[in-house]
Amino acid sequence: MAELTSFSYRVGSSILSGLDARFKLLFLVLISLASTKAGLRAMLLASGAMLWMLSDVRLSLAAVLRELRYFLLLLVVIFAARALSTPGGVIFTTKLMTVTREGLFDGVLVCWRLLLIVLLGLVLTATTRPAEIRAAVEWILKPVPVVSAKRIGTMMGLIMRFIPVILNQAGETAEAQRARGIENRKNPAYRLIKLGIPLIRRTFENADRLITAMESRCYSESRTGPTLTAARKDWAALCVVIVLSLLMMFT
Amino acid sequence: MKPKVIIATENLSHRFSSGRLGIDRITLSVGEGEFVVIAGPNGSGKTTFIRHLNGLLKPTAGRVLLDGVEVARDVMRARQMVGMVFQDPDSQIVGETVYDDVAFGPENLSLDRNEIHNRVDASLQAVGLSHLADQRPHLLSGGEKRRLAIAGVLAMQPRVIIFDEPFSSLDYPGVRQVLQQIVRLHQSGHTILVTTHDLEKVIAHAGRLILLADGSIVRDGLPGDIIREAELFGVRAPCASRLGLEVSSWLN
Repeated sequence: MAELTSFSYRVGSSILSGLDARFKLLFLVLISLASTKAGLRAMLLASGAMLWMLSDVRLSLAAVLRELRYFLLLLVVIFAARALSTPGGVIFTTKLMTVTREGLFDGVLVCWRLLLIVLLGLVLTATTRPAEIRAAVEWILKPVPVVSAKRIGTMMGLIMRFIPVILNQAGETAEAQRARGIENRKNPAYRLIKLGIPLIRRTFENADRLITAMESRCYSESRTGPTLTAARKDWAALCVVIVLSLLMMFT
Repeated sequence: MKPKVIIATENLSHRFSSGRLGIDRITLSVGEGEFVVIAGPNGSGKTTFIRHLNGLLKPTAGRVLLDGVEVARDVMRARQMVGMVFQDPDSQIVGETVYDDVAFGPENLSLDRNEIHNRVDASLQAVGLSHLADQRPHLLSGGEKRRLAIAGVLAMQPRVIIFDEPFSSLDYPGVRQVLQQIVRLHQSGHTILVTTHDLEKVIAHAGRLILLADGSIVRDGLPGDIIREAELFGVRAPCASRLGLEVSSWLN
């Protein structure tokens, strides 16, 4: 489980890897917003751009889709819900359900948009060091009053660091319980409680140790942040993304 | 000439909120550049004691002096001066990548970016992890994680490095890697304190052995002089010394 995932930074010399993290976050927001208005032609255009990005980062589409298999299952559910709940020209009907032409079209479009946004997120994380994403979020939150941008940045970093550790521990606990025959208990609530309680306890104990270790390394909120610099290529990329977003919204 | 005292404790005691006494009136001094092993069974107070040396725990009574300055007066100085490598590296490593983790300490010291970069490079090089700078920490082996934890401490340029049970759950190559690192750090002038209940792996390199039992120092001296008594206090003596032989290094 620790081998998760494509959603992690990989060292590379792609065009996207060389861009400022703040711009990449902005691109993610712009294209995601534009995709909510995008029709079929616009989605084809955006998907072409996405395929270029995946090849620039050297991520294989097949490997990415394999990694997203559970998300694809969710998309199937969303598609079915849309296909069955949107009124329009009936394709076929039974006592329990009616599938419409508009429902199918709407379902495909919604799933396509969601997949595009998730793939954008994947490209962002694959081409940006976690520390740079953290720094970009801190930079964005800096002007927001009351919110401690540094603290949120640290929390983000710790979440990224500890998700694989917690998943590993969940795997270990589940294996230990299988070794003691938990599969003979058919009640899912019982099994969830037996897995959840030790996992939560262990996670809190680790959190305690983590705090001690951070204190030992002089943790403070006035720490040096990563340096982010916007270059001409970032502005050029922003122009391209703005044009792409406008095309998506108005074609 | 006697080395300059870098750590001194005076009647150091700590009582936990449960009422249990963790350590009881510990008085000792450690000279700069010494290699000290602190041994004792589980619950003897080893970890409680070392956590007072950089201000992670506050004493109930007594005090700790680092190079003549009381820890309580300047905790940040103490934490910079005394680096601590914890027993479980998974709870010590905070960075999303190896590089980020080593940079965590220097960033907390508000150093400028160039200085942070230089320190991280030097520390990763010192522990032989430069080639894994962009690796995610949870994918490292046990030995590599310990070395990363050491690099994280080294980047803060401490004068004293404390290792809490550094060999627990490591295989033989992992033990050798970590031991080699500890020995190198000692040779480069750092004062080293190692807590353990397993003397076998490290004692050949130590210049001093302190035995703890029930929160008190029960023996303090040259390893050769007191190692045979370790078993009286719940610590297994190395095989060689039980047979009346000289203990040899695990690095040979």
